Amino acid sequence: MTTSTERSTNNRRQRRKVNIKWAQAFKQAPWRGQIQSAGLFLLGLVVVIVVASIYLSISGRAASAGLGAYRMNVERQTLERQIADRKARIAILTSVTVMEQRAKDMGFERISSTDAVYVMVPGYPGKQAVVLAAPPGINESNRSLVLPIYRQSIWDWLFQGINRLSESVGGGA
Amino acid sequence: MMSFFLSLNRIKILGFFLSLFIAVIGFQMIRIQLSTHAETLDSWASNYGTEVRTIQSERGYIYDRWGHLLAGNKEVYELGVELQYVRNPVAIATAMASIFGSDYNTVLANVSMPYDSTGSVYVTLQDFIPVDQIDKLDALKQQYEEANPYGENPELPSLRGLVWTPHLQRIYPEGTLASNILGFYTYYDRDKGKGYFGVEEKYDNLLAGIKQKVVIPLDPYEMQEIPTAPAGASLVLTIDREIQRTIEKILDKAVKHNSAKNGTIIVMNPKTGEIIAMASTPRLDPNTYWDYEKLFPAGTSYNMAVSQVYEPGSVFKVLTMASALDAGAVKWDTPFTDTGVIEVGGWPIYNWDRGAWGNQNMIGCMQHSLNVCLSWVALQLGPEKFYEYMESFGIGHRTNIDMANEEVYPLSEPGDPMWYSINLATNSFGQGVAVTPVQMIMAASAIANDGKMMAPHILHSYIQNGQQYETNPQVVGAPISKETSDILTEMLAISLEQEASDALVEGYRVAGKTGTAEIAVNGQYSSGRTNASFVGWGPVDDPQFIVYVWLEQPKSSIWGSVVAAPVFRDVVKQIVVLMNIPPDDLRKSLVAGQ
Repeated sequence: MTTSTERSTNNRRQRRKVNIKWAQAFKQAPWRGQIQSAGLFLLGLVVVIVVASIYLSISGRAASAGLGAYRMNVERQTLERQIADRKARIAILTSVTVMEQRAKDMGFERISSTDAVYVMVPGYPGKQAVVLAAPPGINESNRSLVLPIYRQSIWDWLFQGINRLSESVGGGA
Repeated sequence: MMSFFLSLNRIKILGFFLSLFIAVIGFQMIRIQLSTHAETLDSWASNYGTEVRTIQSERGYIYDRWGHLLAGNKEVYELGVELQYVRNPVAIATAMASIFGSDYNTVLANVSMPYDSTGSVYVTLQDFIPVDQIDKLDALKQQYEEANPYGENPELPSLRGLVWTPHLQRIYPEGTLASNILGFYTYYDRDKGKGYFGVEEKYDNLLAGIKQKVVIPLDPYEMQEIPTAPAGASLVLTIDREIQRTIEKILDKAVKHNSAKNGTIIVMNPKTGEIIAMASTPRLDPNTYWDYEKLFPAGTSYNMAVSQVYEPGSVFKVLTMASALDAGAVKWDTPFTDTGVIEVGGWPIYNWDRGAWGNQNMIGCMQHSLNVCLSWVALQLGPEKFYEYMESFGIGHRTNIDMANEEVYPLSEPGDPMWYSINLATNSFGQGVAVTPVQMIMAASAIANDGKMMAPHILHSYIQNGQQYETNPQVVGAPISKETSDILTEMLAISLEQEASDALVEGYRVAGKTGTAEIAVNGQYSSGRTNASFVGWGPVDDPQFIVYVWLEQPKSSIWGSVVAAPVFRDVVKQIVVLMNIPPDDLRKSLVAGQ
């Protein structure tokens, strides 16, 4: 049986031993600690340089892509204008008066109903009005050309990830 | 060990200076932010960082039913000078005068304006310049630039400062063709241009698309998806440009040959209400829309087919007879003895020739276009029923055709202050009642289409956001039964055949009715001035077309049977070929042999 006085004396001895151990851990050569500090600083510096390089590379590419998109938009507008212009030119060249004159110059003349030869074609519905675009129902054109992921900053991505994670852990709001 | 400490001190010293350098940079940054120049720098950043741009959609195209372009857009240029970069104003003025024929002194004065960064920076010299002229200018500019790089030598010519920017201009490749249907777009007003008349006005909002101001970041790091304005919707009309061209030629010839004031012809599909062609005189080239006031003096309609009401005369008798047959007031063989006069409301009504035509049936009444007989028919029907039928035929109401500026004249009915009992008689033969040609063709289409009246329309389909939406034919009423329409069509076909009318077309059986309406001048009808009309359809057993002709005040003859019926025949002779309708016998044998 030990008394309470003996127990407290033992505890004090054990604590002293621990303190001695800690004191011994710091008792290494000073140059070693300085090297460690310098190493940590250099490590931090390398990390900063790597992050900065990645940032510069990414932002450079983003700027280049932005300028490319701008140039392509200008080019698209130019092409749209040219297409409209070509359509108008073709329409002028094939206008009814021009075509009529060309036909006349080539020796064609209008026929009468009695001169025409008519043939019944079973199942042929006759000439149908022009179809210039798809009928309604397909919504391809409403889709944005740039996917949302390409317009998201790293912070947006990070916060959204954290939100998703917290919702999945907390069961959602 | 000592040397290590010494080197450590040097590192500390270097660290100290580097830290100081960073601190100085930081201090300078803060100082710039707080300095008086900060606001200026900020405004520069906001000025050069973004650009406010007005995005204008391309105006939609207009096509005929087969896809021929009737209204489109072409590329033209705005020419101006950036005053800051002008090196030789004389050379610019000389080039402008030689290439574009511009006034030398005006250009020189504009180009010589002093540059002011807060005010005058750009001057527009000319707009709507075609591409070929710009190409000439571009070649000259490059030639000068090679001889005098950057315009450094003031003795040599230089076109530096001269800039041109492309944009689109409305164009109508077919010129005057269908211009009364299309209307025009005032493209010279680049900010507030709008459509006038026809489908350009009716569908202006649809064609115009979106015009919006957007902020575009110029910083490439902030370059987002650049906003675009989708082009305006394109329209596919129901008209056929070949038929349109053909009836315009026939109309122009008829107006000239008969010395008529003006005229109109409408060709419609009675089964769908689709307008296949619609011609009116005069016609404007929409590319030079500024001639409008010259060509259309006050009182002249841009499209008399929809915008001009007139007393139609005897063509209206088809509606009176249709109503009476449908109500059972008369039958096709109901006898009528024409004494040459009938008194209604105390007023005598005479025939067109003031003659008495003796014993007739209803076919004879229609064949000889007897006013006395039709007045009697209207009396048999009674005013209540007569006006009820007129309402159901759409008389006094707009057809709501999808073209701008449709006019309507109210129909006076019993109880109205301006209605007298004689109106029943005069209305029965198309006097004292005013309609537009499109109202008449819509009403008559019920007789050609088994009693069903179709809404006349010009839009076949429209293309928006890459999708084509078709319009559906609409039945606007069924004023008469199929039996009535069959009987009346047969009566009208027989009456044309018995009369040996000029409207008859070899190989095709057609039904129709002429009309000659006196024109009231200062409240008095003048027999010397008339409106000559004809409404007809065919082939009788399966109507594919209905045609309405109106010649205003013809001088060669006042009678519709003489001036309007041959026009109908000429139109039908052409459209049966263009619409691939074989002669009746051949068609029936082809169908039988199928």
